[in-house]
Amino acid sequence: MGQPVLDESPIGARVPMVDSAGKVTGKGIYADDMTLPGTLTGKILHSPHAHARILSIDTSAAESLPGVKAVVTGRETPVKYGILPVGHDETIFATDKVRYVGDNVAGVAAESAEIAEEALRLIKVEYEVLPAWFDPEKSMLAESNLIHEEKPHNIEKDYHHHFGDVEKGFEAADYIREDRFFCPEVTHAALEPHSTLAQYDSEADAITVWSSTQVPYYLKLNLASTLQMPEEKVRVIKPLVGGGFGGKSEVIPLELAAAVLARMARQPVKITYSREEVFYAHRGRPGQIVALKTGMTREGRLTAVEARIIQDGGAYCSYGVVTILYSGQLLNAMYEIPNVKFDGYRVLTNKPACGAMRGHGTVNTRFAFEQQLNRMASVLGIDPMEIRRRNLLKPPCMTVNSLRVLSYGLPECIDEVEERSGWREKHGKLPYGKGIGIAGSHYVSGAANAIIRSGAPHTTVNLSIDSDGIVTIFTGASEIGQGSDTLQVQVVAAELGIGLDRVKIVAADTARTPIDLGSYSSRVTFMAGNAAIAAARDAKNKILTAAAAKMATTPENLLIEGNQVTCRDDRRLSMRFADAVRLAIVDGAETLEATGSYRPPPEATGGKFKGGGVGPSPAYSYCAQTAEVTVDPETGQVTVDRLIAAHDCGKAINPICVEGQVIGSVWMGLGQAVQEEMMWRNGRLMNPGLLEYRSASTLESPPIDAIIVESNDPEGPFGAKEAGEGSLAATIPAVTHAIYDAVGVWIDTLPITPEKVLKAIDEKRKSEIWKSEARSQN
Amino acid sequence: MIAGGTDLLPSMKQGLFAPRVLIDLKGLRELDFIRFDARRGLEIGALTTISALANSQVVAREFPVLHEAAKTVASPLLRNMGTLGGNLCLDTRCLYYNQSEFWRGSLGGCIKKDGAVCHVAPGSDTCWAAFSGDTAPALLALEATVELAGPRGRREIPLAELYVNDGLVRLTKAADEMVTAVRVPAANAGWLGTYRKLRIRQSIDYPLAGVAVVMRKRADGSCAQARIGLTAVNPMPRLVTASDRLAGQAYSAALVEDVAREAIRVGKPLKTSASTMEYRRQMIQVFVRRALTDLWRSAN
Ligand SMILES: Cc1cc2nc3c(=O)[nH]c(=O)nc-3n(C[C@H](O)[C@H](O)[C@H](O)COP(=O)(O)OP(=O)(O)OC[C@H]3O[C@@H](n4cnc5c(N)ncnc54)[C@H](O)[C@@H]3O)c2cc1C
Repeated sequence: MGQPVLDESPIGARVPMVDSAGKVTGKGIYADDMTLPGTLTGKILHSPHAHARILSIDTSAAESLPGVKAVVTGRETPVKYGILPVGHDETIFATDKVRYVGDNVAGVAAESAEIAEEALRLIKVEYEVLPAWFDPEKSMLAESNLIHEEKPHNIEKDYHHHFGDVEKGFEAADYIREDRFFCPEVTHAALEPHSTLAQYDSEADAITVWSSTQVPYYLKLNLASTLQMPEEKVRVIKPLVGGGFGGKSEVIPLELAAAVLARMARQPVKITYSREEVFYAHRGRPGQIVALKTGMTREGRLTAVEARIIQDGGAYCSYGVVTILYSGQLLNAMYEIPNVKFDGYRVLTNKPACGAMRGHGTVNTRFAFEQQLNRMASVLGIDPMEIRRRNLLKPPCMTVNSLRVLSYGLPECIDEVEERSGWREKHGKLPYGKGIGIAGSHYVSGAANAIIRSGAPHTTVNLSIDSDGIVTIFTGASEIGQGSDTLQVQVVAAELGIGLDRVKIVAADTARTPIDLGSYSSRVTFMAGNAAIAAARDAKNKILTAAAAKMATTPENLLIEGNQVTCRDDRRLSMRFADAVRLAIVDGAETLEATGSYRPPPEATGGKFKGGGVGPSPAYSYCAQTAEVTVDPETGQVTVDRLIAAHDCGKAINPICVEGQVIGSVWMGLGQAVQEEMMWRNGRLMNPGLLEYRSASTLESPPIDAIIVESNDPEGPFGAKEAGEGSLAATIPAVTHAIYDAVGVWIDTLPITPEKVLKAIDEKRKSEIWKSEARSQN
Repeated sequence: MIAGGTDLLPSMKQGLFAPRVLIDLKGLRELDFIRFDARRGLEIGALTTISALANSQVVAREFPVLHEAAKTVASPLLRNMGTLGGNLCLDTRCLYYNQSEFWRGSLGGCIKKDGAVCHVAPGSDTCWAAFSGDTAPALLALEATVELAGPRGRREIPLAELYVNDGLVRLTKAADEMVTAVRVPAANAGWLGTYRKLRIRQSIDYPLAGVAVVMRKRADGSCAQARIGLTAVNPMPRLVTASDRLAGQAYSAALVEDVAREAIRVGKPLKTSASTMEYRRQMIQVFVRRALTDLWRSAN
């Protein structure tokens, strides 16, 4: 489908996403839609125990079942892997122990799903069940039966940061508050379950994998290491992805399992997780306990913050070390806090591994912080909008923990939601049962330091322009529904001055596209966007230099506009873009090649302290949000009536995408606020399905107004920053704040079930009766 | 037997049933009807879809409680497929039962399926899985009867007698009998009625508790008669007999509260779902109170 040719720059234009047609018509191809001749079905045998030693595995009966083409266990897959270099603690299949209900024990490839399932039933595993750890606070005290022998006390990692002097900060405070917050584990619940198709070429000893992934490049590296194959023998292709939200931002067991099985069977193998298996693969947001202490002056100026954070990480490291660091490091870069102390513990438990999920690491801490801020504002009698204004950063600046902030639209975001929500007429003035609340949040526009540290660029974009002037972008960046492809097309078209219909894109195929680290930490717009600009500038340079020679002028005197190369000082002199390209194509070549890459500036890469590398970003997005609710005081039922989110994305290159991302983030935050929770009993997930894991239905989804604030980041592509995650966290404390405004209770434990609200209302009533009785007796 | 399959098929996928033969009832078009006659009352064929029931004007006018209950079943798509017969014969539900084969196997099963223990009431020799259909409490309150057909012919029994308060047995009907029709006596037409359902999401979710209330009022506004049906808080839907206390009485908040308190003695939810039993019981009280108050104080 052709894109409209625009008279004006495509930057800021509401153009439909380049891959939307197939998604709407159902013709789009996702991993599970694909089959190759002879494709087998792969299935995985999961552990029924939370913690057990594997004594023996007998696969002989499964192997001799007709139709079974391969059976594999941990014996054949001993290589450890993990997304972080410090966290290589997984193997494709368990080698010695299983560590959660659902852990991977063996794999089967067979001619049909039924045969594969039957084969799984025939695999006999002898276990020695071990005592298991489910509660992170108890797990931290473990002396024996450790989940990983090399991790004493089941602590994956702990960090202790102290910036400024919190003792002094609390001394300077007029009001100090301490609260404890608990956010249970939640998961991404992407619509598309993970799916991988793997094909082994025995002649070339090479493997090709089509997978629902956000990180084709890391998948390639991990396939090479676990299959013990050279990297150049591994090719990863990402088809359309039906939502990731972080759940596909690292290597997921089925991806490796499909590849191993395909190599053994010498036939293509496809594995698609059941919804239940998606819950076991998990990598969602960890349960988190936040003990938070904040000090402020009478005027509401923050003097010190101290946070003790425990994350219930599950049985493997995954992104855990990064998650715990984000939870502390990003206490900063939102408001001016002179003194900050952070003690963070990432704890192992016998549950599926937690990983990265939209708003990675920041969400639960942000909920705690904003809630406490609102609480303190209400005690001090300061308007919650005002208390935020009193603590704004003054960019350009460097926070106490060395985060560099250049662009900062938070003040405008606050102004916008205050105005649009009718805050002054509503806050504290609505009838009992109705309330309005506010909160803020922020997020990185990509991590300034790559997972695997090196001086290499974080992303490279190549352009190939043919003699008809058609530009093809080659990018490793992964479109996962957020608009990665569309954005790069827009940016290249804008920079080259040509129509969107002249630009095509080839993305996320490791054999054809240059390296990009993946779609996580909201890095693509900023990083791939900048690389695309650099590539387009390279092309433009070459084209204008060639055209200038022909037109007897200088390249500086030329511009490209509306598919024409035109002289600035004599508009009558012009030539078609395609003709100029032809001039620039070097002899013997068919296309003009250009390239650009991006690496974050050294000033943005953070402090030199332990853990200082996580949190720094070239730019931060900001969000302020209001929520309006109705609370039924007899049932505790909370109805969220309206949410308004103002998001500073630097510059909205495509407002449709930005609004979609903001609305999606807010909606996801709402789910975590009011109804989502992974419920555990003895290490068993009680709700491994979408009926009992309750994401909001349309009926609980209120109107969400997305307001775009543009602070024009000096380093962002056309000023842009991230838009896909930063609005999520604010929803939760905005809703709890609105509940306080409605019925006078604070909910510190998520999700805000009617039951908790009702209990809080009852307790408040009782304590008020008690107080009034005490008063009348005096 | 399979009608709409909206209950049976998900359960089969979880390995709860592995029937060798399934008899598809959907072809029995003659059992897809809603008939009302002011003398004979209401008659609904077992293959009538929940959507048809929810959209029926005569049901909405004469039996508002049934109309409201039908509207809350599952989601629009499921209502298009689901039938009244299937809704009444719904399997009972429990967090330990409605799980995959892998999940249940990891716990060694439960008393209802492949195991010996009840995980919500250890030591119990009956099953506490909750009957979670929405139309049954409404039809109980309307004193409905069901017609059963089988190799031994047809018989008609009060709906209340279809159920057994044990998730293992569930229904009194024989395996070779099917529900063909449901009838509501003419005397119960035109009663005020309302259905209140506790659920986390306002669509899709099964009830965590459901309260159906019907009332006939006298010209002076006093209550001639009222009946209350409960669902999702026991292995079977049940009536709250304390509603008899309302007969002949003028509105009184104290009386309403009295009956609402009695209602929670009838509902005995165990931890079969995500919500706690305390909260589900509390909500029965609130819903009974609200429903009675609304009906009693409404204009007609
Ligand atoms: C996600 C989801 C949410 C749901 N939420 C609700 C809800 O909120 N409230 C609710 O009430 N239900 C709910 N349901 C269950 C179901 O959709 C409805 O109850 C529906 O009405 C069942 O009818 P059916 O025809 O599809 O039943 P089927 O699945 O065809 O049958 C159900 C059972 O009844 C038996 N049966 C069917 N017809 C007859 C007959 N004529 N005679 C004898 N036995 C028969 C079958 O053998 C089977 O055991 C939900 C289902 C799903 C999947």
